[in-house]
Amino acid sequence: MAEREKILEIKNLCMEFPVKRREKLKALNNVTFDIYKGENFGLVGESGCGKTTLGRTIIRLYNPTSGEILFNGRSISGKLNKDTRKYVTDNIAMIFQDPISSLNPRMTIQEIIAEGLSIRGIKNKEEQRRMVVEILDKVGLLPEHAARYPHEFSGGQRQRIGIARALILNPSFIIADEPVSALDVSIQAQVIKLLLEMKKIMGLTILFIAHDLSVVKYFSDRIGVMCKGQLVELGDADEVYKNPLHPYTRALLSAIPEPDPIREKKKKRLYYDPQIHDYSKESPEFVEITPGHFVYGSPSEIEQYRIDLKEGINIFN
Amino acid sequence: MTLYEDNKELYDSIPAEKFKRVERDEAIHDAKFQTKPICFLKDVWLRFTKNKASVCAAIVILIIAVLAIFGPGMNRFKYDEQYPDRVNMPPKIPAIANLNLGIFDGGYVLKNRQYDSISDTTKYPNDCIINVTNPQVVNGVRMVDVEVDYYKYLGISDDECYWFGSDYLGRDIWTRLWRGARMSLIIAVVSVACNVVIGLLYGSIAGYYGGTVDMILMRITEILNAFPRIVIVTLFVMVAGTGMFSIIMALIIKDWVPTARMIRSQFYRFKGSEYVLAARTLGVRDMALIFRHILPNSMGPIITSSMIAVPTAIFAESFLAYIGLGLQAPETSIGVMLSQGQKVLLHYPTQVVFPAIVISLLMISFNLFGNGLRDAFDPTLRGAE
Ligand SMILES: Nc1ncnc2c1ncn2[C@@H]1O[C@H](COP(=O)(O)OP(=O)(O)OP(=O)(O)O)[C@@H](O)[C@H]1O
Ligand SMILES: [Mg+2]
Repeated sequence: MAEREKILEIKNLCMEFPVKRREKLKALNNVTFDIYKGENFGLVGESGCGKTTLGRTIIRLYNPTSGEILFNGRSISGKLNKDTRKYVTDNIAMIFQDPISSLNPRMTIQEIIAEGLSIRGIKNKEEQRRMVVEILDKVGLLPEHAARYPHEFSGGQRQRIGIARALILNPSFIIADEPVSALDVSIQAQVIKLLLEMKKIMGLTILFIAHDLSVVKYFSDRIGVMCKGQLVELGDADEVYKNPLHPYTRALLSAIPEPDPIREKKKKRLYYDPQIHDYSKESPEFVEITPGHFVYGSPSEIEQYRIDLKEGINIFN
Repeated sequence: MTLYEDNKELYDSIPAEKFKRVERDEAIHDAKFQTKPICFLKDVWLRFTKNKASVCAAIVILIIAVLAIFGPGMNRFKYDEQYPDRVNMPPKIPAIANLNLGIFDGGYVLKNRQYDSISDTTKYPNDCIINVTNPQVVNGVRMVDVEVDYYKYLGISDDECYWFGSDYLGRDIWTRLWRGARMSLIIAVVSVACNVVIGLLYGSIAGYYGGTVDMILMRITEILNAFPRIVIVTLFVMVAGTGMFSIIMALIIKDWVPTARMIRSQFYRFKGSEYVLAARTLGVRDMALIFRHILPNSMGPIITSSMIAVPTAIFAESFLAYIGLGLQAPETSIGVMLSQGQKVLLHYPTQVVFPAIVISLLMISFNLFGNGLRDAFDPTLRGAE
């Protein structure tokens, strides 16, 4: 594991939004994790836990309050100069959560997708047109769609336009912010397949954000679980799925519907109650409990998790 | 018990090779749209012409503009030619007078005339009498009101008619009206154009950068706004003298503030929108964000408000004319004509009616036209209605 190349290192990242005078909302709280080159990192967590904020902070739409972000070993947190900003925009792309509001209603699809090209010096209209048609074909849209305006498309089509816009620039790292949450199930599968194909062809690294584990668990190499601006568990997908340690992860896992109706009916739903943690005496830490498997908890909780691990976990009964 | 556990043996006896993964393998491809793509300008034109009210408004504006350009040259009078013997003439257009409609016939009511002298051709020459009304007896004498064709009454030939009448100096109102409309439109359009440009730059900077920049810029506008307009105009007139320049400046000095505020609020509305953020992640520069992403989306309010600003500026100019700070004689504007006409409103109402009609038409038309333009430039309305 250690010899794998890290593409993104996030260290103690904090992000606060000023809400009222002197009052701050901690959207990200000491988030620390790495993403390896070529992997598919799934980030899950309930709505409002700060997933989008994390994505936007990485691509530097927001200025982090504290902490460090290293991309390929180069620091991209702190104040950005022209060079670093260009480095960020050239290498990282983001697919936005809301396919409807993330496309400018006054621009044609051609203009939207080609916008990044002209910034990168491809100004020739013919060349742009050719590349747009090519990428439209990849995401399953037709060349004639290029002259249309976004409102003429369905939600799924718009999501694919957003994907095309991100992919055409050949980024090495993509932040996909719930790219399928707004879509119906049949299109979800298509879009995920599309992303995975692109990943294979272009050698992408993907940070895939979702709000439930069911979407993520099938194709993520590693999974991070987020809760209230805090990363509570992190590990290989199989490991997290088999040995969920943090109660929040367990609750998320128990929420995945089972394809077997009988089992589904008998399944015990777990609910997560943040009150169970008593952090007044011991302060919690993000601890590597087994190689590559991190969990957030106080020393006594960690002890309990170790015992759980030894005894084997079956959260379903 | 689960399905699998109940039938464990049966399930397990099936060899793995027999399983096939079910997957929709065909590449996703969407159907062609039924409608044809059309180029932007054609689309704008189509949507504009669909709105009948704004097309009418555009035609009215066009007619007024054409008349403002060519109207003053259409008859033999000059805007500053005075005829002391032909003051306050009623309007007469010979072609319409012949139709006996009761309008534009040069009709003027002479009140309380002796009935007996009606047939006296030295008093009423050239069968100038149109109508006799209101018979009454005063001190045993029969009196009537006589409506005469004032031109025939004075012995003026038909080709010297004042189409819209003349004012208190015998100047032709038709010529002066269109010359005035020309002046008013120039003043309004120039000042509104300047206001929009200043407001656009100022509002964009304040709205886009926000924070301290925004706060300082907005405080400045508040200070500017606190000065009463009359003080500013008076100061300008003192320094630069009366005339077009002073008036235009007077209409610019603080009138760009609402435009700037409006554009600033549009920026606040759109700069955090997802598509602006998305463009930012692509590395789009500030200027492109402002001009390609934010401004086009705030076009609607900008267009309507600047279209409404045109007649408002004409109004403001009229107001200046009323208080005597407008254009100075013999130069004219709609405002000057209104203020002069208002003085003789009760005796010669036509002198105020014509400029009033023009200013009202302009007001309504610019409003409707602005709405039509706003909708025309909004591609999201494509296919609506
Ligand atoms: N620009 C902002 N200003 C102030 N607060 C914000 C801002 N953006 C997000 N927040 C707050 O930060 C928290 C995290 O929001 P975020 O959008 O990251 O959630 P999320 O995990 O993406 O949720 P979802 O699954 O619904 O998309 C929320 O409580 C939200 O109200
Ligand atoms: Mg989100």
